[in-house]
Amino acid sequence: MKLGGVRERSDRDLVRAARRGDRDAAAALFRRYWPSAWRVALSVTGRRALADDVAADAFERAFAALDRFDERRPFGPWLHRIVANRCLDLLRAERRLTADHGVEPVGVDSDHRAGDRGLLDALAGLSLERRVVVLLRYGVGMTPKEIAGALDLPVGTVNSRLARSLEQLRETFEGQGVERH
Amino acid sequence: VSSDTESRLGELFAQLPKPDAEVGDRALARALDALPLTASRRHRPALTIRALVFVLAAVIALLAASAGALAAVGALHVSFGQSPHRSPQRSASPASQLAVPHGARGVAVTVDGRLWLTTASGLRLQGLPVTAAALSPHARYVAVGLGKALVAMAPEGRRAWSHPTPGHVVAIGWAPNGLRIAYIVKTGGRFRLYAIEGNGDHNHLIDPTVRATTPTWRGDSLALAYVSGGGRPVVYDLGHRSHTAISNPVARDATFLTFNPSGDDSLAVATRHAVLLVAGNTSTKPTTFQDETVAGIGWVDGKLAVALNPRPPTASTVRLFRVTTGGGLIESGRLTAAARIEGLDAWGSRLTLAVASGSNIRILSTTIPTAGATARSKLLLRVPAANQIGTLATR
Repeated sequence: MKLGGVRERSDRDLVRAARRGDRDAAAALFRRYWPSAWRVALSVTGRRALADDVAADAFERAFAALDRFDERRPFGPWLHRIVANRCLDLLRAERRLTADHGVEPVGVDSDHRAGDRGLLDALAGLSLERRVVVLLRYGVGMTPKEIAGALDLPVGTVNSRLARSLEQLRETFEGQGVERH
Repeated sequence: VSSDTESRLGELFAQLPKPDAEVGDRALARALDALPLTASRRHRPALTIRALVFVLAAVIALLAASAGALAAVGALHVSFGQSPHRSPQRSASPASQLAVPHGARGVAVTVDGRLWLTTASGLRLQGLPVTAAALSPHARYVAVGLGKALVAMAPEGRRAWSHPTPGHVVAIGWAPNGLRIAYIVKTGGRFRLYAIEGNGDHNHLIDPTVRATTPTWRGDSLALAYVSGGGRPVVYDLGHRSHTAISNPVARDATFLTFNPSGDDSLAVATRHAVLLVAGNTSTKPTTFQDETVAGIGWVDGKLAVALNPRPPTASTVRLFRVTTGGGLIESGRLTAAARIEGLDAWGSRLTLAVASGSNIRILSTTIPTAGATARSKLLLRVPAANQIGTLATR
């Protein structure tokens, strides 16, 4: 791939260089995936503070485990898998604590724009498992097969969750009066 | 229909906000620190002589870096009867997952209102927003302040029980026998002290006006100490339901209280610049610190450990005081920290310390060595934080 005459290094090149201790390569890898990783975290948790923590923690884990990463596989799905699983761990633990008595339920920040709120509210209405699948598919652009690999699920389960989530979201959007412009 | 919803999803995802640049910078620094130093060695092709020289240089640098990291993790120096030495401050290896110290059953830390918890039984919480936390004896359960409730969690992560409270729980102390919990609730601008049984039953108010200092339980679990609203330490006897205020004026405005876990009734009281022991109606002569502030106290191997931060900030210390037969305190050794100590917890023969390091808080577990030896420390956790250490508990 060429951008403005400068060849952009592939993920694999950057990973290899980072494993050799090239901090510039590692930083380039970080900058390439930080926004999407953070958005995954925000979409799942609905809270900026948690998204900040989870995304940073996921990168720290990913870089710490870089020497064990199979460089024949794409870096992005591997990273997003870590982000998604960190979100799930955190929210499940929180849900265990808050279940039944409604203390500080998982919600969304109040400082988002209307469009953001529409999405985050809609996602918050999905179960945690469905929410993760939806955002990996439509927020990150992973294929059902990649999602299945990332979450250790059968592809059929991923497709089923996607279909049911879309149906639920369609009803939510209609209820919210979300319109396309 | 699905494709229309899919299109809307795609558009809405594109509208999501971007992360703050400052957050990204901090995360990048953390991530780069986490890069494995040795990774390159596994993927290096066959060595030429030039490459061999390079590798040797790298190995030497690596050994030096490793030594530095070890020194940083063991960022404490011990001296007995000598002037404290300042250890160089270096960056520690990353530890974003809280580790249980050797020999312990669990450890809990709250930093900036977030809980990190790991128990040997497998319970792990990371960054959970709570208002306070405490581990039960043997770390079988954890009690947390969550919203306006006191919640107890079992080892497998199951919520054992919850008790609604009139405000946020700001401090929790679990009795050594595990049968009672004392906790402080902030409500209407005041702090109230309650006690509840370990199974969530029989909640009752002990004092409607106290300070937010964490209550401490006597070794027999039949009495607890707290700081009254007027700043005096008070011992509450559960058997007699009696309150005994400590009248020694030096103990006024106490900031830390801790009963000697050995089972006697001696209570260590710390103010900002002094410590003293109280037993019944008698108090020892206070030990004062002119230019240092007490950052925490605890009992380790029968000695009172006192964390002190100097003014102006130089080398922080943990001083160990032996209790004389007459009940006095005599300094018997000290550990020197390379950075400011934000909290101290003692258990058995070890200390758990919260040490500020740049924009991070490091949680270290350290042994108390014999005279002349070097303290061995293990990094349990490193988190970016302002400086608000709440719970620091090892069981």
